[in-house]
Amino acid sequence: MALLRAAVLGRARLRGGGIPWSVLRNYSSASAKEKARRNAVCERTELLEVLKARGKQLQGSNIPEVTVDKVELPPLGNVTYQDPLRKATAPGPAEERPAPGGRGESPARPRSWAEKLKKEMHMQQLKVEQMSIAAAQLALEEQTKAKPKSKAKANAKAKNSLKIPKAKAAAAWSQSHAGSCSVHAHGKPRVAAVKEGVKAQRPQRVLEDKESSQHKILQQTVQSNLECLLFLQQPEEAERFLLLYHSSPKKRGLLNVDAYNIVMRSWARKGCLQRVNWLLSLLESVGLRPSLDSYAALLECLGRNQSPASAIQRCVQQLKNDGFHVDELFQKCLFEEDEKEKVLRAIRVVQPKYQLPPPPRPQICKSSLLRDFYSRETTVSYPKLDFSLRELQERFQQQLQMELDNTVTVESVEATKPLTPQAIKARKLLATLRSQWRDSILQALQKSKHNMSKLKTRSRYNTLYPYLCLLPDEEYVDIMLQILNTVSPQGESLAVLARELSSKVYNRYITQRKLRSRQLEKVQEVYEGYIHLLAKDGRPDGYLPREYWEKLVAEAGFGPSLSLKDCSWPYVLLMRLGMHMLELLVQAVKVPRNILNPRLEPRLIPVLYHIYSFRSSWQVGLIKPHPVFSQIVSDAAETLLTFNSSSIPMLCPPVPWTSPHFGAFVLNDTRLMRFVDGAFQHQLLLEQCPPVNLHPVLDALNQLGNCAWKINQPVLDIIISIFNDKGNEKLDIPPPVSEAPRPPAAPGNSSTWSKSQKHELLQCKKKAAEMHSLRMDALYKLSIANYVRDKVFWFPHNMDFRGRTYPCPPYFNHLGNDVTRAILLFAEGRPLGPKGLDWLKIHLINLTGLKKKNALQERLEYANEIMEEILDSADHPLTGRKWWMNTDEPWQALACCMEIAKASRSPDPAAYVSHFPVHQDGSCNGLQHYAALGRDLIGAISVNLMPCSVPQDVYSAVAQQVEEFRKKDAAQGVRIAQVLQGFISRKVVKQTVMTVVYGVTRYGGRLQMEKRLKEIDEFPEEYLWEASHYLVKQVFNGIKEMFSATRDIQNWLTESAKLIAQSGRTVEWVTPLGLPIVQPYYRSRSTVLNCSMQHLSVKHASSSQKPDTVKQKNAFPPNFIHSLDSTHMMLTALHCLRQGLTFVSVHDCYWTHALTVDIMNEVCRQQFVALHSEKILQDLSEFMLEKYCSPGREMRAPWQKKLMEQLSSVPKTGEFNLNKVMDSTYFFS
Amino acid sequence: RFIACPHLARTVQRCLQDGASPGPQPVLLECAPGPGILTRTLLNAGVRVVALESNSAFLPNLQSLENSLDGQLKVIYGDFFRLDPLVTGTVKPPALCSDKLFETMGVAAVPWRADVPVKIFGFLPQKKERNMLWRLLFALYECSSIYRYGRVELNIFMSEKEYKVLTAKPGEAKAYQALTVLWQVGCEIQLLHMEPWSSFVTNLKNGGLAIPKSMWLPNDHLCLVRLTPQQNLFTGSLEPTNSATFIFMVKQCLAKPKSKIADRLNSWSLDNGGKLLSELEIPKNAATRNLYPEDYRRLFEALQNSSMFTETWFHDEVLGSIRNIN
Repeated sequence: MALLRAAVLGRARLRGGGIPWSVLRNYSSASAKEKARRNAVCERTELLEVLKARGKQLQGSNIPEVTVDKVELPPLGNVTYQDPLRKATAPGPAEERPAPGGRGESPARPRSWAEKLKKEMHMQQLKVEQMSIAAAQLALEEQTKAKPKSKAKANAKAKNSLKIPKAKAAAAWSQSHAGSCSVHAHGKPRVAAVKEGVKAQRPQRVLEDKESSQHKILQQTVQSNLECLLFLQQPEEAERFLLLYHSSPKKRGLLNVDAYNIVMRSWARKGCLQRVNWLLSLLESVGLRPSLDSYAALLECLGRNQSPASAIQRCVQQLKNDGFHVDELFQKCLFEEDEKEKVLRAIRVVQPKYQLPPPPRPQICKSSLLRDFYSRETTVSYPKLDFSLRELQERFQQQLQMELDNTVTVESVEATKPLTPQAIKARKLLATLRSQWRDSILQALQKSKHNMSKLKTRSRYNTLYPYLCLLPDEEYVDIMLQILNTVSPQGESLAVLARELSSKVYNRYITQRKLRSRQLEKVQEVYEGYIHLLAKDGRPDGYLPREYWEKLVAEAGFGPSLSLKDCSWPYVLLMRLGMHMLELLVQAVKVPRNILNPRLEPRLIPVLYHIYSFRSSWQVGLIKPHPVFSQIVSDAAETLLTFNSSSIPMLCPPVPWTSPHFGAFVLNDTRLMRFVDGAFQHQLLLEQCPPVNLHPVLDALNQLGNCAWKINQPVLDIIISIFNDKGNEKLDIPPPVSEAPRPPAAPGNSSTWSKSQKHELLQCKKKAAEMHSLRMDALYKLSIANYVRDKVFWFPHNMDFRGRTYPCPPYFNHLGNDVTRAILLFAEGRPLGPKGLDWLKIHLINLTGLKKKNALQERLEYANEIMEEILDSADHPLTGRKWWMNTDEPWQALACCMEIAKASRSPDPAAYVSHFPVHQDGSCNGLQHYAALGRDLIGAISVNLMPCSVPQDVYSAVAQQVEEFRKKDAAQGVRIAQVLQGFISRKVVKQTVMTVVYGVTRYGGRLQMEKRLKEIDEFPEEYLWEASHYLVKQVFNGIKEMFSATRDIQNWLTESAKLIAQSGRTVEWVTPLGLPIVQPYYRSRSTVLNCSMQHLSVKHASSSQKPDTVKQKNAFPPNFIHSLDSTHMMLTALHCLRQGLTFVSVHDCYWTHALTVDIMNEVCRQQFVALHSEKILQDLSEFMLEKYCSPGREMRAPWQKKLMEQLSSVPKTGEFNLNKVMDSTYFFS
Repeated sequence: RFIACPHLARTVQRCLQDGASPGPQPVLLECAPGPGILTRTLLNAGVRVVALESNSAFLPNLQSLENSLDGQLKVIYGDFFRLDPLVTGTVKPPALCSDKLFETMGVAAVPWRADVPVKIFGFLPQKKERNMLWRLLFALYECSSIYRYGRVELNIFMSEKEYKVLTAKPGEAKAYQALTVLWQVGCEIQLLHMEPWSSFVTNLKNGGLAIPKSMWLPNDHLCLVRLTPQQNLFTGSLEPTNSATFIFMVKQCLAKPKSKIADRLNSWSLDNGGKLLSELEIPKNAATRNLYPEDYRRLFEALQNSSMFTETWFHDEVLGSIRNIN
């Protein structure tokens, strides 16, 4: 990063002083050489000027200061033109001194200050010496960047950087210098090491920028390999593998302390003290310092061997000498199996009375927004679930069993159809084939493993081998057969299949590890206690789920050992493993060619084949099943579906999130934050963040996950009946593929067809493929719903990097479409209360989309008017007048009709117990946040922040505006404007307006428009492109006209992000709830994996690369707004929890019982006002100023000034009175 | 990119008339003549020229030239490299349809085996050189677009690296590609002239030469290449209707040039490839990039005759891929 900044700096400086570029270019002739020469001259004069200025400054001041002169910045590797001056001074970059570069080259410079510079540099080094090598290097880097004015500051900085977990940042850093540092272990030589480091740092930095992502991947690969061997209990193998790297000076750089620790642990587990000691000496011989984990391994081994006290005493002494404390062992180390007991035994040999350290006191979040929420003075009881302890215990066991089985086989909803004889025959055939395939895959797997194991003896080592030993062979075969069943007839991309295969292996491995390390036992024990908090007959009260879980963990003395050591596999490795399995699958699975057509000669042909699909210059590898196989599968019409256990909703309340590593499912590995493969910066950020800052977010996720659900059975039955009939596209029930349009039968060979015939056939195929995927998606959802139809279930939640929350099970959840939402009910019932029935009716009208512009009272009256239709729909959904079918959300409307019918017919509607969720939607929530941020009066009115008698509709307003533009254009004879007459409606513009705040581009907007216009049957097709193009332009103009403050804020955010990204850093911020956010957009780089079937290009972006400026810039406004809306949602969730409400959300749509809608609305508005009463933009500005241009930093460069100006000029706000929101009925409605 | 130097114009003119049989010469379609230096040279040499210009800035000049002559020059507004656009809907100039163009030129379709009906001269646009070569290739094999009118002779300037690809020999790493095989099967390729990049003028805003980057192949020149479709292209069982399968087969084979041809055939379960190969006297362990273009043609014809393509999934894929490339 420093490098990039230097590069930018260099350019900016060039442009800033002397002759401006443009002038130069005008004067210069065509000769490029001459131009370069002139530039050099220009730069040299500029450089001399800077040096002179610096000299003067130094003469005037006595304060020793870190000198970061421009001259000594690292070689500008990426600057396109070479600086002749620098070239001359630094012939060999390795020799370059940290002191000024241009020594002897510029005679103008006074000698004395050169000396002074050198001295300062030396002082700097002395300061740094007090710290460890790794930290010192980091600190130095920090200081060269930051230029602190005083010593105190320098130290503070260094300390800050020390906090970064060694394993990740510092270790990686020091590794790259292992070559130069290796001689110096600890003690005195460290001074030298630092000097070395300083020297080595600069030439290497260029290199490192290029290689460090590669380096990190390799490092991760080595570690996960060692972890595997540890898991396999093969210490000899692990040691051999370690030595493979250790003995080569080049590869040694990939080993860090953790790598050695893993091997030590595997020996310690066997009690081989000698090997552990030897490894310790090995570790020190390469200049690495033993970490806490190293001592833990040693002590474990000593404890296991019941070694004499003297040895243990020595070890403990050494540990203390290295600045650790015995207590830390139990506070920080993640013990597995019986490691902890052994360590404790060892400690108690020398300190017989040693007691485990008390658990740290629980900290309380201090966020001003949540002061009441967390305050201890008023303990309130949080709602309990309607289950007894025993029931919850049973459910937990069920869930555990399901997760232990890894997969769940579910009867599909198509199972009710009668079987044809053809299907029976095909099923039989498939069964025999499968058992043959099972054998042949097993054989192929064993053969390949055998070949690999032979390789091991030679110098070439196959890194995949241990990964193929983690599970019993049969499990690998199971996984491969499972994949075989899911390949669609249209084929699947190679990379996707490979990824799926390996992640299945990984998940099973994690499960095994959790079992082996006794982590599961501990979780089970804590969970048993935990359900006391939730069960209706449980005693404890006044705790949040997370607090109670933490309390139980502390009481049981488990410390941090509930979470596993980080053992994720690098993406590249996952791909390799997957590719290997895929190759086996393609090779091993064969079918007789004549199986369906006995006339052909019998011969085995592969079931899967590999083929390329060409997309312009791109070629993508596909795996396709042979038509024969697809035919058998479709004939068999199998009705069993196999899912990963993590795809099914949980059958017991989820494990509460207590840290970024722990929560959600019992066994399945779940991340707190979703992110793309290879983006580890989020994880890093979460780890660095003080745990207490995450509490609000964790608590909100736990609250959402603790909502119990059940199935609306009557609605589900109706949906399934239509699904199994012929589907219904209008009602969003995808028809089966058999309903797909058939191409007209053409005579003869396909090669003789005309172009149009081919085209038609292609269209039919495309349609069939689309229908297949839609059908499968619906089949999965409905089948899972059907599977849990009699159960109560839970959706554990996690979030994306902006804090937006999502249920973890992917197919069936409340975020789904109208169909899935309609079959979900709260498991908990609440009486409707006095206003509940009215709310149900209003909710129904909302779902129809009919009375959007009318007041709530009018909607209610309308509902009462059409009561007859509602009751008819409820009673005869498929045979009656079918009023419900013509609404916006027909299935939810139908469900609501049924609920209203039941409630209104009950003797006392107010006492009727309803499970029905009532929704309240934010009206264009993104714009609401913008309008509130900018206190924009006009904007606030149009998105209902102001109390109004009728709801304002921003979409209609924009549509009106666009229509006006159109009329004007049409009058002026613009053809397309005339064509569009009568087609501009709210519906056409809605999606684009909605997404404009989230940064939709013209391109995306046009596609949206095109889709909307296509839905209008009367619209002439030939004008689609032109019309959509025109419309999107007008919509953008319309919004510009209506929301001025929004635009200012958006521009400010965009511009800030652009400057930050241009300075080589990624945009980071912290939400008002304390969640740290970083935008993970980097310029990606691709690595080519040579697999035997195909070379695979794997893209990966990592934090060591430069940020992608365009993405950073374009995505910042929407991401920022999303982080705000997620904050608002979480605040509402937490405060609703305190009021005892059931609450879930679909981003900006909040659900609760009809009884509690009013309370929820009030909380929602309160929290919106509270959130925006914080100085959000000012806080953001301050945070960024602190982060990107802290006062100690060099401020001379124009771009830095520009950034600082930009960040400090927060857009002005309007005069909207935020408190008005409290009375606005239609804010969320 | 234009020819600015009269000397070069003469060279090109000579090249274009080179090897012409005595008798009436076919009309020459000059694409994007720009300032018209070559046009004048050609006219002076007595060639009948149709100038197809897409840049309206050059049009007036050319039109006045047209008016000063007695029908020897015809100027048409249009872009040769946007001929027969794939999008449905109305064709907007400068894009145009080949049938319109040929109608205006007054050229009627002739049978495939007949002589060259039209000669075309132009520069391949550098940014989409590859794309254009593929599109022309599809047109050639389908006998569509310009090739509907017979064996149209292309005389085009292309970058040296693309020329190297077109004329690569089997086994040459990097250069021997699917494009090579297909062009060599389809056309006689003749190098007429080589000229360094700097001899040409572009009308780019920055005045650069816009030389495409090349990592593996030499790329110091622009090559004037004559591509004359083979008279016997459709004499075997290769036909315009099944040629897409041929193209698809070659592309699949050369997507991974080091793989063995036998493995490829087997992985598509196109029957026992081994037997077929030995009949064609192709060694069993030959890598796909070692096969001669003619071998591919024979292989295809053998497969076509054994009617194996129709038995398998293969033709589905062909259909699927047409749309993607074309």
